[in-house]
Amino acid sequence: MSELRSETDLISAARLDPGAEAIVASVRGEIDLHNSPQLRTQLLKFLDEYKPKKLVLNLKEVPYMDSSAIAVLVEALQRLRRAGGKLYLTDLQPRVKGLLEIARLDTIFVLAKDEAEALAK
Amino acid sequence: MSDPANLAAVRKQIEALAQASGFEERAVAEVGLCVNEAMANIIRHAYDGRHDQPIDVTAKADEKQLIITLRDWGNGMDPSKLPCRPYDPLEPGGVGLICLGQWMDDVLYALQGDGILTTLVKLRTPRTKQQKHERAAK
Repeated sequence: MSELRSETDLISAARLDPGAEAIVASVRGEIDLHNSPQLRTQLLKFLDEYKPKKLVLNLKEVPYMDSSAIAVLVEALQRLRRAGGKLYLTDLQPRVKGLLEIARLDTIFVLAKDEAEALAK
Repeated sequence: MSDPANLAAVRKQIEALAQASGFEERAVAEVGLCVNEAMANIIRHAYDGRHDQPIDVTAKADEKQLIITLRDWGNGMDPSKLPCRPYDPLEPGGVGLICLGQWMDDVLYALQGDGILTTLVKLRTPRTKQQKHERAAK
């Protein structure tokens, strides 16, 4: 397990789990069109650099996101899928869960109660 | 101004008004996101991503509803007249308009000659899906 450095405050912690071929990242803060490009840059950098099979995003500290953040998650998912990987979202807050449901993405991302459940799936 | 840095502050002001006007927590959250999405659409489409253009936002609540208006001086493209493509969750775009359509009771775009006046209406007693459907068919 090794810690990964993030260039944006939107990712408060990230680690590589080589055994699980996974990156686990904790996302923090409200995400909208203003800062979603920063999240996009960092997530795609992680994917390009480490080529994980799983990207687990802990959204416990994300009380709000808008459609631009959703677009970032979908782009990351597409990138992972092309390499046979999956995107896991954990610890969803009610507003974020509501947005994923209305966008019909709650069945496309793998939703998990917490990081442990995501890594075990 | 059409700077995305302003999105959160405007959203929170509208949410505060909705909350102070007695709307329940879920409705407050829905209104907040819809205002965010309407503003983001103006920035991206009406102003083609420019961050230094005016957006005039007003909001008022009464015993029946919360009405929010967003006036822009952009390219005058009416979002409701854009070609309709089936929504695909795996394709970019469309989420904002879905939120507006489902979470607001009315979304109106009025051409102003030099831009668009967007009006969002949230009723205290929301319309049912059937009522929305019948209204859209008129």
